[in-house]
Amino acid sequence: MKHAFSSPLSVALGSVTVAAGLLIAASTAMAGSHSSVPATAEMRTMTQSAAPAPKSTQGNSEGAAVIYQPSRSKFSKDLPFAKLQVTVIDGRTRQPLSGAEVVIAETEGRYRTGADGNTPAFDAPVIRNPRFQTTISELHGQLTAIVYKDSYHDSIHFGIRMHPGTESHTTVWMYKLIPGDRIEPVEYHVPIHRLWLIQLADRYRSPSQPGEGPERPD
Amino acid sequence: MKSLFAGLLVAAFLLLPWQPAHAEKIGQTPFPSTIRVAIRENNASGEPDSRGRIVYVLTLNFEEYMRGVLPNEWLASWKPESLKAGAIAVKMFGWYHHLHPVTIDNFTFDVDDTVNFQAFRRYTDQLATNRAIIATRSLAYVPPNGDIVELNYRAGYANSPNWQYRNAQKMAQWGSQYWAEKGRTYLQILEFYYQNRTVRTIPGV
Repeated sequence: MKHAFSSPLSVALGSVTVAAGLLIAASTAMAGSHSSVPATAEMRTMTQSAAPAPKSTQGNSEGAAVIYQPSRSKFSKDLPFAKLQVTVIDGRTRQPLSGAEVVIAETEGRYRTGADGNTPAFDAPVIRNPRFQTTISELHGQLTAIVYKDSYHDSIHFGIRMHPGTESHTTVWMYKLIPGDRIEPVEYHVPIHRLWLIQLADRYRSPSQPGEGPERPD
Repeated sequence: MKSLFAGLLVAAFLLLPWQPAHAEKIGQTPFPSTIRVAIRENNASGEPDSRGRIVYVLTLNFEEYMRGVLPNEWLASWKPESLKAGAIAVKMFGWYHHLHPVTIDNFTFDVDDTVNFQAFRRYTDQLATNRAIIATRSLAYVPPNGDIVELNYRAGYANSPNWQYRNAQKMAQWGSQYWAEKGRTYLQILEFYYQNRTVRTIPGV
């Protein structure tokens, strides 16, 4: 019996097992890879390349223009101003859209995007919502951009965060019109920063109903 | 018999999960080039739901992920040293979870786009936060043995050093701004909240 497996059959079985082990190990390694993975229905993943990063001077800004910049004298002299740059992209391809016109509703300023999808960085007010001034002042201002581009749905971006003392940036995604589409601007509300939401919730918390409880380390 | 046994041993060696003891240490595990971000569905009213159904997993360049996190966790108007401390915390948090992926509902991912991990919104870069990320790009903050660990953080309270967060070994985001306003550097801020750690250069970055 002790020689029952020292036969060509046992060598073949051993070789097949090793080969199977190698194959299984190789496929396991590939599935666990963290490198960019092609999107497949089975894996339900998407691999995306980086979008243009916001900069005051960015790549090819040819065509970017300030069409109308309102004078500061139109606004209260106590109103702080900062720089804002808007990037406009195609929401499906994520490619920059040149020649889009961006209007800031609060100032009526109008700007055009260049080849890289960016407007010039322009002066814009830091307007905190006056509704909350007696409650808890917002941590950033908010502005509204209405963006127009031929062959695309108009896009209205509310709540663009305006940070005092630094340049702010926002990206507007636009969607191509399809024949038969009705006139329907795309509406988006930029979320208010979570740090202010936590402050607002803590402001009115009571022992009678603490909700999720006060901000704490644990 | 010996051939079969040898084959089984080799197969077992190859199949069993095996990692060298140093697999998750700085210098011995590569800095991630990408990270898998699970995108969660809003509810039927369009409101965010941190336990919403996972719609898909987005594999992003790791730095692009950081650029979409930092301005949504820290305020872009905060002091540069606060933002640099935040950049390192965001990086180490993401790196740790990249090394410890999870599988939920047949989706395998490293982080999701909600506060379950770190608040992420794509294409929300800000100049000030990008600068902080670039300034600290090659740096990691790790224990002396070099383990890649999660640097956790919470909001904290404005205008306070937030000592209770130091005791919990979590950075207070408001505390980082407090200390930056007092003239502390980002390393001093990190040292205040995370004790027994050291800054190390990430090889190859």
